[in-house]
Amino acid sequence: MNLKNWRVWLTLLFIVVSVIAFWDTFKMWTMSPEDKLALNESDPSALVKLEQSAIRLGLDLQGGIHVVLRVKMEELDAPAREDAIDRAIQIIRNRVDGLGVTEPQIQKQGNDRIIVDLPGYTDVSRAEELIGQTALLEFKLLETPENSNLILTRIDSAVVKYRETEKTGDTSADKAPDSAAAKADQPKKDTTDILSELMGDTSKDSADQFAFDESKDLTDNENPFTTRLDPILFNNRTGVNWPGYAVNRADRPLIDKWLNLPQVQAQIPIDVRFAWSTRSELRDQRQVYFLYLLKRKVQFLGKFLEGINSGTDGYGAPVVNFSLSGDGAALFGQLTGSNIDKPLAITLDDKVESSPFINSKIRNNGQITMGSSATFEDARNLEIVLKAGALPAPVEIIEKNVVGATLGADSIRKGFTSSVIGLVLVLLYIGIYYRISGVIADIGLLFNIFFLLAVLAGFGATLTMPGIAGIILTIGMSLDSNILIFERIREELRTGKTVHAAIDAGYDRAFAAIFDTHVTTLITAGALFLLGSGPIKGFAVSLFWGVAISLYTAYVITKQIFDIRKSYKTLSI
Amino acid sequence: MFRLIGETNINFLSIRKVAYTVSSILVAVGIFGLVMIMTGRANLGIDFAGGVMITGHFEKPVAIEDLRAAVHAEFSDVQITDLKDFAKPNAFIIKTKRPETEAEGEQKLRRLNQIISEKFPDHNFISVSEHVIGPAVGQTLRKDAQKAVLLSLLGIVLYLWIRFDFRSGIVAAMATLHDTLVVLGLIYLTGIEFDLLIVTALLTLAGYSLNDKVVIYDRIRENLKRFRTRGEFAATVNASINEVLSRTINTGMTVLLVLGALYFLGGEVLKGFAFSLLIGIIIGTYSSIFVASPIVVEWEARRPKRFK
Repeated sequence: MNLKNWRVWLTLLFIVVSVIAFWDTFKMWTMSPEDKLALNESDPSALVKLEQSAIRLGLDLQGGIHVVLRVKMEELDAPAREDAIDRAIQIIRNRVDGLGVTEPQIQKQGNDRIIVDLPGYTDVSRAEELIGQTALLEFKLLETPENSNLILTRIDSAVVKYRETEKTGDTSADKAPDSAAAKADQPKKDTTDILSELMGDTSKDSADQFAFDESKDLTDNENPFTTRLDPILFNNRTGVNWPGYAVNRADRPLIDKWLNLPQVQAQIPIDVRFAWSTRSELRDQRQVYFLYLLKRKVQFLGKFLEGINSGTDGYGAPVVNFSLSGDGAALFGQLTGSNIDKPLAITLDDKVESSPFINSKIRNNGQITMGSSATFEDARNLEIVLKAGALPAPVEIIEKNVVGATLGADSIRKGFTSSVIGLVLVLLYIGIYYRISGVIADIGLLFNIFFLLAVLAGFGATLTMPGIAGIILTIGMSLDSNILIFERIREELRTGKTVHAAIDAGYDRAFAAIFDTHVTTLITAGALFLLGSGPIKGFAVSLFWGVAISLYTAYVITKQIFDIRKSYKTLSI
Repeated sequence: MFRLIGETNINFLSIRKVAYTVSSILVAVGIFGLVMIMTGRANLGIDFAGGVMITGHFEKPVAIEDLRAAVHAEFSDVQITDLKDFAKPNAFIIKTKRPETEAEGEQKLRRLNQIISEKFPDHNFISVSEHVIGPAVGQTLRKDAQKAVLLSLLGIVLYLWIRFDFRSGIVAAMATLHDTLVVLGLIYLTGIEFDLLIVTALLTLAGYSLNDKVVIYDRIRENLKRFRTRGEFAATVNASINEVLSRTINTGMTVLLVLGALYFLGGEVLKGFAFSLLIGIIIGTYSSIFVASPIVVEWEARRPKRFK
């Protein structure tokens, strides 16, 4: 074997990548239920990671989580009620089914309920993260800079006073407001966690990691609150600083505690409130959250947004585009027209997702330009949030359970054994019919299965009983390439060509047919992926990769072996 | 060299009139079946039709396998799952397909409860809730799937138009549609439950059948280039079919071996799936040889393009 041969190296690379991609699945499948429980006890996040990167077994094979949601119809006006449930189903589907390979089962129950069955998960609390909760997307204005400064100054002096009483008081007085604040914070914390995890943020445990030390900030006597806020919403055009601030992640628990003090609450007017950003961000080498002072009044609702998509502007910077029509356009035109050069906060369940400045009056088509350090990932995240926020109705989870497999152990065993038997029969048939060449094709076929499983693992796909049968089937079909080639080589040999010439001609002449059949299948897979949804999309993903991989094994892996066989006097085919 | 068939010279085109008649009848049945399925008058699975869901629990432990066996003895379409952390232990979800009428539904529910209390008399089944559930494959999903299939047909016609010619593209796409329709009709006639699994089978079969046609067209294209000056079009087409015949049979065999294993050994779940594919593969192979190729020949005979 020639070591300069790119085919060998590429295949070795693919094998290594596949082993890595498949590793978690292998671990997951070989892990006993007891071990899983033990891991869940000792390191739940490790189990979650494992569950995400392994091939999940579908509802029929392993069961999963069964969640019943109720659409809160009472919070909707009559016209919105009509199709609320269908739109909610669509949005939940989008959320749990991003890549189309999770294969959730989502269906209506009665008049106001939605059942979501998520395969492969064993932890019920994770269901909430995936499905999310209310998802109320609102647009709010910020408090004016003048008023904000006033409020901040008053909070500063309230905090200073609080600290003085703390200093003079004993330690038990110190603990009292602390636990009260913790209690008051409890219900809020839940939603924070869920949302931040939905966004893929792992910084939620900052409170535990950074125990705050109040002694150190005794130095900043004058304005303990404002020194911890770093203004970020400076408008270059007007030279005004709006009340949006970066706060060190480590400082957040302290700021939360202060804001929850009754004497601080008393300083905040009833029509404004503080709101955190959903995620923390790296800024000047520090992890920071953003804190905003928002007017409570809801200016605009996410349900009016249409045609949301992320992309780039003329300069290649990441942006999110949206469009509006009818009432939404009129309302948004009014809102933006009278607030040019002011920031507009987009909040999802009271967490600020984005705070773009209004550059001009927007009626029908809007564009949100992301910050200078933003990535396309950020734009894509905002797109998902805006789409999710178009949820027409608030939903609540009224039931969540772990459910077992829908198929009996007996059915699963039958399905699995029959697939394996089918595979073995095919391997034998090809091996007997084409002799050594057939065995080579069989080896290629086994590579095919391995690569396909690795790709599916990489996508976090869900394997169902029909999925297994389908894989075996597409793989059986993928032998078609080899059969076409072998028949061609046989034809060439019959015309009296040498082994070398016959192999060359066989591969060469079969190529057109193989190329065309693969491209037509890829076109089908592409169309099904683009326009299909749910299980159709899942089918498209495995079809696409099945076909792509079979082309690779036929023209790279088995071809490599045939190139070696070219020097043979006779060919076993 | 082990060969199932040697070099053949069968005149496949000679029986095209018979094939056209058979195909027309089968397609008519297929369209009828399609209409029945679309209007919900066929045997639709719970994925498409929705149904009734009972949540309940036993007062004493019941093995899920026993419960399944008891219920499946009478209703094979009932789906039973165990609820693991329900408020009460021994809880189950029982899903059954939506029956034709309300009265039938009532009756089926009553019968289900009856079976359970008869088979497990001392365990006392308490039904916590009974709800009507909608189809898991909703309107949006259906519309998306239809759009996707249309787009893929268009893409295929366009691709084959570029690679071969316009008529090949049209005929291949139409013949594939023919295969899918015929299988749909047979599914309707045999009363196989139409569910997501069958949709997957139809998509797979469409892919297989299209491949089959492309392989033959490819051979025709190659032979036309090689023997540009001699022979007539019909003979070239017939020769091409004969030349790829051993490939057609071998590829068909590998797929049939898998499907046979799934059909005979795969149990109830995979039976409908394997059956639709089995007939699909046979129909697909038949239409490549006896329908798609002759139509190209006749098209050429009426409006000569290649041999003027």
